[in-house]
Amino acid sequence: MRKIAFLLVVAVAFVMVFAFSGCGDRETVIKVGINAPLTGDIPKVGEGTKYAAQMWLEDIEKAGGLEVGGKKYKVELVIEDNESKSDSAVKANTKMITQDDVLVIVGPQSSAQAVPAGEVANNYKTTMISPWSTNPATTLDRPYVFRGCFLDPFQGPVVANFIIEEFGFTKAAVLYDVASDYPKGLAEVFKAAWEKKNGAGSIVAYESFTTKDTDFSSQLTKIKRSGAQVLFTPQYYNEVPLIVKQAKDLGWTGPIVGSDSWGSAETVELCGEPCYGQFFSSHYAAAGAKGATKEFIDRYNKAHGYIPDDVAALTWDALRLAQQAIENAGELTGKIETDRTAVRDALAKVKDFAGITGNMTFTEEGDPIKCAVIVKINDKGEYEFYKSVCP
Amino acid sequence: MEIARKFKNTFSMVPMFGWLSGALAAVLVEYFLGYNYISLVLGLPKIPVLFGTLIMLKTPIMIPSVLAYDLIVYIIPVLTVAKLTAPATNKIAGSLEKIPIWLSTIIHLVLFYGIMHLWAGINDYRLLVLKLTMVSIILTISINVINGYQGEFSCSHPGFMAVGAYVASILTLVLFVNDKMFGQALLPAELGPWLFPFILIAGGAVAALSSLIVAIPSFRTRGDYLAIISLAFMFIVKSAIENMNFIGGARGMSSQPDYASLPVIFCWTILTIWIVHNFVTSIMGKALNAVRDDEAASESMTVKTKKTKIIAFMFGAFWAGVAGGLFAHILRFINPGTFSIQRLAEILAMVYFGGLNSIIGSIVGAVSISLLGEALRPLELFKWIIIPLILIFVMIYRPYGLISFKEINVKKLFRSKNK
Repeated sequence: MRKIAFLLVVAVAFVMVFAFSGCGDRETVIKVGINAPLTGDIPKVGEGTKYAAQMWLEDIEKAGGLEVGGKKYKVELVIEDNESKSDSAVKANTKMITQDDVLVIVGPQSSAQAVPAGEVANNYKTTMISPWSTNPATTLDRPYVFRGCFLDPFQGPVVANFIIEEFGFTKAAVLYDVASDYPKGLAEVFKAAWEKKNGAGSIVAYESFTTKDTDFSSQLTKIKRSGAQVLFTPQYYNEVPLIVKQAKDLGWTGPIVGSDSWGSAETVELCGEPCYGQFFSSHYAAAGAKGATKEFIDRYNKAHGYIPDDVAALTWDALRLAQQAIENAGELTGKIETDRTAVRDALAKVKDFAGITGNMTFTEEGDPIKCAVIVKINDKGEYEFYKSVCP
Repeated sequence: MEIARKFKNTFSMVPMFGWLSGALAAVLVEYFLGYNYISLVLGLPKIPVLFGTLIMLKTPIMIPSVLAYDLIVYIIPVLTVAKLTAPATNKIAGSLEKIPIWLSTIIHLVLFYGIMHLWAGINDYRLLVLKLTMVSIILTISINVINGYQGEFSCSHPGFMAVGAYVASILTLVLFVNDKMFGQALLPAELGPWLFPFILIAGGAVAALSSLIVAIPSFRTRGDYLAIISLAFMFIVKSAIENMNFIGGARGMSSQPDYASLPVIFCWTILTIWIVHNFVTSIMGKALNAVRDDEAASESMTVKTKKTKIIAFMFGAFWAGVAGGLFAHILRFINPGTFSIQRLAEILAMVYFGGLNSIIGSIVGAVSISLLGEALRPLELFKWIIIPLILIFVMIYRPYGLISFKEINVKKLFRSKNK
């Protein structure tokens, strides 16, 4: 008994000596939460998010902190992994809001995580900006949730109109993943927009597959036989190369058009030559970029060795938006609940924000009004600006 | 070794009631002094959640402060209060032995719930982790009925969970919520929390019925074949929901009402433990074990093997459905992707880690895997190396899991240690 008591006393004393070294008042630090899929199905997306966030922090630190109401504050990033699972994203958001006292959250990227995580952020009255989520439900009826990209109901018609104007085609085919909400939603919007222009039945083949399928030959054969002139496939970087290559092998000669999910750097790397000359709609084009966009791309490329994809660029913009909102919030009271609401109000008022993915103004719902870019994959495999389409 | 023995000797006479009082003292200390005094003095930014593991891994410089916090807030109060009150709590435990066992159990549970409520009340993140951990406990116990007591290898649990989650969500959305998917609510929203148990039971019942789809064709086979068929069932459920647009398809369903509060989930967890315990110790449970050990022999000993197997399978599926319903109302969003192979891996890890044929084992497995998953969160990718490694070691040194083939004995657990 005595020995135990003695040991306990020694342990307490030992720990105290070290612990008090970190003692001090609690100072106000601006914390920005990042909710990203660092592990799981799409780690590349998480990586881009993380790198962009770290670059942003570097800038802030160089400036000696964020200036709000005439006072400089230290900024900290809280980066949480959501494992690209919805329950994990909810846990990460709850932790950042209740434990880390973050002022703003940037992320999650995919809609499957952004929709439930947005609910948490809105309940706790914390501003959340999802840079990449295109599902309308993410921001719907949630005053505290914003997004950094355009929505599918805008993107679908943009692609359809582009094909009609550019090639004058009247018969199109669609190939999409029925088990993933983004491709499915976009395929539906595209179909509606196309049929509005060319009449019912002008989508001659509307084929689907399931996530993780790798053989598309039966769908592609059907598409080829249907007499379609163009193939629209709103898929991710892991499927696009397979689809394009298999289509070429089956003798498909028409153009294949995609959506912003093609924008990852991996698409061309995995696909190679068959993808050259294809078009997709996106948030920004890396090749031939000018001004701030080029500066961002060069810096990112220098630090990490590859051209940033649209997720990184959108995350960058989301963080800059958050920064501007914090700066416009007037004064930080140190009471986190009040400050969060002040930031939210400031963000809703942002007008004509000059981001690297285009100018943004928020609607009532927290969705930005911004232009889409049609990108052409050129002969060197770079994403080249082709055309800009504004609402 | 000497110290461990002495430690054991010193504290062996503390009854369960004494430990609970110690824990209550600890959470009270945290509740009243944690933020304004202890963590401030130690230089911590806030009360560390989950015993400070998150802070320790993120900023190692904080390790001494966190250890000091754990020592002051948890270890010292629990040990001293448990030790000092041992004479008194032994007397209480002695008098609790005289009243009916159910009453004594309820007293202990109320005390335990009080501790959890205070602990979780400090931070909503703790609350969420606690809720999801309890759902994991229900899931693990329910799969233990099939994979442990019945000795099969079933992979369809996420499927049953999905069925329960979707049925419960559809019912609450149709009945109590004005939403875009199903339109006006049919019943007043005040009734919701009261009818929620029936909704969960309905979800469980539909899951149990759907388990017949696996059970009837596949119970002619055993082992690997059942595993394959049940795995197929899981994928069928997922694809079916993905293609049903009226319940959201791949986009999922959201805005379920917030009915799954901590007391509700706690009651359901206790209910699960109690009912499953009674089930596996009943004649049916004994028959189930006989079927597991030797089907032909038990058939010849008048056990109705087919009926036993199907009932146990449906029973397991029922609780998985209930857990799914609770899960949907905690997250308030479900999509078919949530109930996929990753969830299956989690559930299987919990049950095999904790121990087969044992409810305590299931609880230990569910709690430790869930808490490990949260505590190691800052390690990102390395988390997925460490947890599987631990599992591998458990499988090598304890092939049936940490605590296997052991039943709860409530009487023994709560008895006075005064000798």
